[in-house]
Amino acid sequence: MTKIRLNGKEIEADEDATVLDVAMQEGLDIPALCRHEALAPYGACRLCIVEAEGPALRRSLLTSCNLKTFDGMSVETESPRVKSSRKVLFELLLGRSPDSKPLKEMAKRFGVESTRFATDRSDDCARCGLCVRACQDRIGLSAITFAGRGQKRRVTAEIGKLSETCIGCGACANICPTGAIKLEDNGNERKIFLHDTVISALALAGCESCRKPYATLKLLDYVAAHPDNKYGLNIKLKLCPACTRKHYAGEHSKILLSYSRTNPD
Amino acid sequence: MKSVLKGIFHKKQDNETDSNGARKKSDNRGVTISVCAGTGGVAAGGYDVLNAFAAQLEEKGVAAKVGERCRVHKVGCRGFCAKDVLVDVCIDGDTTTYQFIDPGKAGRIVEEHIIGGAPVREWIAGPDYANFHSKQKKILLSDCGHIDPEDIDAYIAAGGYGAAEKALSSMKPEDVIIKIKESGLRGRGGAGFPTGLKWELCRAAGENPKYIICNADEGDPGAFMDRAIIEGNPHSIIEGMIIGAYAIGANEGYIYVRAEYPLAVERLRKAIAQARGNARLGENIMGHGMNFDINVKLGAGAFVCGEETALIASLEDRTGEPSHRPPFPVQKGLRGKPTTINNVETWATIPKIISNGPEWFAAIGTEKSKGTKIFSLVGNINNTGLVEVPMGITLREIIYDIGGGIPNNKNFKAVQTGGPSGGCIPLSHIDTPVDYENLTALGSIMGSGGMVVMDEDACMVDVAKFFVSFCMDESCGKCTPCREGTKMIVKLLDEITGGEGTGEHIAKLEELCGALKETSLCGLGKTAPNPVISTIRYFRHEYDAHISSKKCPAGVCKALITFRIDMSKCNGCTACAANCPQNSIIGEKKKPHEIIQEECIKCGICFESCKFGAVTKGQA
Repeated sequence: MTKIRLNGKEIEADEDATVLDVAMQEGLDIPALCRHEALAPYGACRLCIVEAEGPALRRSLLTSCNLKTFDGMSVETESPRVKSSRKVLFELLLGRSPDSKPLKEMAKRFGVESTRFATDRSDDCARCGLCVRACQDRIGLSAITFAGRGQKRRVTAEIGKLSETCIGCGACANICPTGAIKLEDNGNERKIFLHDTVISALALAGCESCRKPYATLKLLDYVAAHPDNKYGLNIKLKLCPACTRKHYAGEHSKILLSYSRTNPD
Repeated sequence: MKSVLKGIFHKKQDNETDSNGARKKSDNRGVTISVCAGTGGVAAGGYDVLNAFAAQLEEKGVAAKVGERCRVHKVGCRGFCAKDVLVDVCIDGDTTTYQFIDPGKAGRIVEEHIIGGAPVREWIAGPDYANFHSKQKKILLSDCGHIDPEDIDAYIAAGGYGAAEKALSSMKPEDVIIKIKESGLRGRGGAGFPTGLKWELCRAAGENPKYIICNADEGDPGAFMDRAIIEGNPHSIIEGMIIGAYAIGANEGYIYVRAEYPLAVERLRKAIAQARGNARLGENIMGHGMNFDINVKLGAGAFVCGEETALIASLEDRTGEPSHRPPFPVQKGLRGKPTTINNVETWATIPKIISNGPEWFAAIGTEKSKGTKIFSLVGNINNTGLVEVPMGITLREIIYDIGGGIPNNKNFKAVQTGGPSGGCIPLSHIDTPVDYENLTALGSIMGSGGMVVMDEDACMVDVAKFFVSFCMDESCGKCTPCREGTKMIVKLLDEITGGEGTGEHIAKLEELCGALKETSLCGLGKTAPNPVISTIRYFRHEYDAHISSKKCPAGVCKALITFRIDMSKCNGCTACAANCPQNSIIGEKKKPHEIIQEECIKCGICFESCKFGAVTKGQA
């Protein structure tokens, strides 16, 4: 455990916890766009900055998502320095993505409702990298990735055609904080959209029991073949999550019934 | 075995270094002709001059008379690139330096000087050459210009690999680190972190294996200090890395060199191959049981890969993007292992410190900035080239004494230090002694050593825009402030120089610059605002002129200048009209001409063409 001072309050923190973790546990609201508990800290959006100092740390603005606590650390999350830089960061993000509802809502929560820094080329992507990191680090594929440097940095799938690598798991659409990636299931087909362009179109498998489409064939094959797969039985059954639950409930009740027959007490 | 013995038992020859680390005059009898063959020298025709001298010596029978004590060899950069091709003719220990030599001049020099004993006066480098060198102190560049960089024997004969021998045979790794700490050497890549401390931290890090890396990415526009060392004395870097690897406990080293330096890459590869063939790299170095080898890795056109974590990513074949620190490379670097990264200059200084002792090094420079620094002195300056000076020398001395002042009778306006991450320093601070702390206090940085001098014709807003544009182009794009912020800063500066600045522009610039400095992920973003911040600090009146009066005082920003023809001076020679690319100057022959303002693109060709001073460049 480490002893730190957070907004003037003395707190005991886990050695391995980041300042952002601790702040969130304390109920503090710190903006963060490129952070997700399932992924390693990336430090790209810079919104989670705090003002910190300590025995071996000169007073400075640091991102809290990758800042480990240490004894004697003092952190301010709403100092004037934090607020003024944070305002500019939100304005820059809004300049890049003026139409993203989730981003506008987040900015509003922190007092930023307009921007002085409009660009001539805007889109909903904040370049947070969550989609890229989710696909690469957790799914183990690189169906969606960054291309280009600096201004020209953008998220892309395969260029000029539908992705052959994508398995349609939907992790990217699920994790995208600005709404730039969308997932649509229509009948037997799942489409994934990046900036309203289809980047992936895959066939959905229907549940053997209720017949409803529930996962792409590619995803089922990928999970079945994956060395970490613990759900082989589920895949073999080809049941949607609801029917899977019913199936196992049935199995469990069979076990309980047979047990109660042999043990009437 | 023979090559190993050569290193251990090699008798020190005449060409040794004196206690200042500088080369002693050769007291070898005979004739030595040294021809500059750095990239600048080669571009000026160095190889052709070399061949011409060799041919002339042969043809005129000099070689036959003097035999093996007559030689022509190529040497590295001596610094005064503006005088290329530079040739040193050394006869029995007396050296004459010739400037602007082309192949056609070799014959006369051989006949009149070498055979006849009378130097060719009109080709000898003039007093400005002596002035250029008088306040310099060559340590890193001491062998450049004296030894053939592609000949390991020349390096050894000059005392090379003696420091590595000393370290490996008579010092403990910990002792080496103590010596480097005592010397006060600070990293020459720009950040100025104490080198000895970095090595100590790396050695103390628990994991193995450890790695050392030489950062030869030198991306600052106008900087070529590292290039000169690699092209002129690559073995000094190898020797420094051997000593460093020994001190830290590493067996593998990398030199990450930018691909845009083909000659440097070639010389480096040759040097490494020679070192391997002479028991200076590989297994059992110089018979002392140490194994260490170096691999060269080329960059691929990204300035950001000079940043240490981005460099490591590039070395690991990942996208060259920085990552957050801590952990620092000395804790978790290449492949997650403790890694020491140092700049070319830093590595090249190590052998000198070990040979001459840390007290010798610490006696040079200021209290907190020891030793010498190489600067590339460029821009509006008479003596352009590379200079090596002790820390603590003033900017005035560098610019006026060594640099020879500003050409064409123009006035000094500002000097930009530290590359695109640096700031512009005005005349009022020109007596500042150059060291890390002083430059930072002025709003600039030491950086890698770029020094761009500007005269009164430079527009400081335009200069700021140039440097931030470079950072914008080179931004990796990972973090919000640098990716979006540099573009915004350039846009605002564009508006100011385009005559569209408003009362809010400076405030917006200052806020953006503050956010970039405070929140960027790496040094590129953090220092990109420096040129803007420093020019607003020292040249606010120029910004105000652009914004409030829509004037560019230096007459640079096209939107804010107007070319006009003074009717009273124009005699209708039609030179301007004939050259105008827009065909927008009207008038009859021998009658005053007029520029059609709506069509004028402000190229300035009419201004250059008029020999009567009738075309004026004025405010809008």
